[in-house]
Amino acid sequence: MTPAELFAVLVIVLLAIGWRLSWLATRLDRAHTRVERRWAALDAALVRRAQAALEAARGAAIDPASSLLVCDVAAAALVADLDPAAREQRESDLSRVLALVPLDGVATYSERVELAHRLHNDAVATASALRRRPSVVLFRLAGHAAEPRAFEMAVSGELTWPRGFVG
Amino acid sequence: MRIGLVCPYSFDAPGGVQNHVLGLARQLARAGHQPHILAPGLFPELVEGRREAAGRVEFTSAGQAIAVPYNGSIARVNFGPLSATRVRRWLRAGDFDLVHIHEPITPSIALLALWAADVPVVATFHTATPRSRTMQLAGGALRASIEKIDAGIAVSESARRVVVHHLGRDAMVIPNGFDFAAFAPPPPEKWAQTTATRRVNLSPPPSFPRSRRPRVTFLGRVDEPRKGLDVLLRALPAIRAGLGDVDVVVAGQGSIPAPAGVRLLGAISDEDKAQLLRGSDVFVAPHRERESFGIVLLEAMAAGASVVASALPAFADLLRPADLLRTEGGSDPLGELVPIGDASALAEAVLATVRRPPPGRTARARERARRYDWSEVAPAITAVYHATLATTAPTRRVIAT
Repeated sequence: MTPAELFAVLVIVLLAIGWRLSWLATRLDRAHTRVERRWAALDAALVRRAQAALEAARGAAIDPASSLLVCDVAAAALVADLDPAAREQRESDLSRVLALVPLDGVATYSERVELAHRLHNDAVATASALRRRPSVVLFRLAGHAAEPRAFEMAVSGELTWPRGFVG
Repeated sequence: MRIGLVCPYSFDAPGGVQNHVLGLARQLARAGHQPHILAPGLFPELVEGRREAAGRVEFTSAGQAIAVPYNGSIARVNFGPLSATRVRRWLRAGDFDLVHIHEPITPSIALLALWAADVPVVATFHTATPRSRTMQLAGGALRASIEKIDAGIAVSESARRVVVHHLGRDAMVIPNGFDFAAFAPPPPEKWAQTTATRRVNLSPPPSFPRSRRPRVTFLGRVDEPRKGLDVLLRALPAIRAGLGDVDVVVAGQGSIPAPAGVRLLGAISDEDKAQLLRGSDVFVAPHRERESFGIVLLEAMAAGASVVASALPAFADLLRPADLLRTEGGSDPLGELVPIGDASALAEAVLATVRRPPPGRTARARERARRYDWSEVAPAITAVYHATLATTAPTRRVIAT
């Protein structure tokens, strides 16, 4: 092989690597964007659910004990700027209470939350898998984008209890 | 008087509100009234098959409570149409002259009873109040219920402030009651006799005679951080360094690996508790939060143990009562108050109490505790009943069929 041929092969290999990296970067960017959109959707669904629960709980058709219970957890979930762990806890609490107190018109919002929650965590899983690929780690393709975080919350049907009761 | 007493917490679990309701019911029965308790779960006397021990206190179960997240922790509560129906049926069957509801603003049968009651209502506020944000949002729906309270009672000055601030109502301050005689040492002539009979009947744990070693006692759930056992354990090395051999006794529910040099007794009976306190030099209460009253401090004071407690508002109310400091001129409190969670301050206070007990303090503490005996507290509560009945329009109730 002449030096010129060797050079040509090297250029082609470098181009191929570059193309692959930029393709990965594009996919990564898309995955991050999707996580952001889905978080926005989940956030909105959660807020609407809490508001709907509050509204229904303040209506006349409900006993005051149920009303107080729902208002308490819904109000706690609606507090602005919670850190993610606290938000997860409070939204899970709201799910648990809503599973026990049937409220008119809230079921739809709960279903929307369930859907948005699944879609969000699915997007997070995709992005995390991409970020773990060796070439992404090696070339730091993720840049400064924050590590996407799954939103761990109880939705109706999978209610687990913390240990210890306060009576 | 036919009095309906509503307790939102189950008697299956120990608790200050439950003890208060039960003690009040017994005292009312002794005074010739007909108290009838509504509470979730089962009544202890029924569980243990000692129906007669309940005396003339009737009991109705409101069904099992359900564990739900409320107010930042897990609460066992009753709610929903089924519970509401049970409460209404109890009210109708009881045909009460008055209902006395404890912790009315909790998601429980207490609030349901307040909602459904058509007779005069007296309500006692112990500690539970909704978060202020909850109150803002649920306030409208709750206002009608809050208005139905004819007379409010708060168990302490701090509980009263919360009622005024959060609910916009006022309340009389009437403390929790307890059985002073059960904790105070028996008079000398009876002493030999009771110890003799006790020795025969006493089931394990055995009796707790005062030993030569100073005894430091802790009561309360051992696995609940808010009771603060860990603070005492952290203070132990310093206490041992100062006093040498110390008998440390810990009694309360829950299982933890036994800490070195500590006697873990597990849950004990009221009688054993009284005996344990009478044989204790120092009773420590390193609680962190949420003690509404602190009846256990009064029990220790009645039994003659020196008290070292964390500076919770409720404990400070008992150990540094404003009127005592004012009238008797002395600045000496009835026990030592230490900063919450401060192990070294706790150790120091225990050392000081054992080495140089302030003269006359235990006697003054015992006299103070006597004021919280049921014989003093129950008449104050019945006075509220009478004042309420005298000023409420008589309702002509149609008995539904």
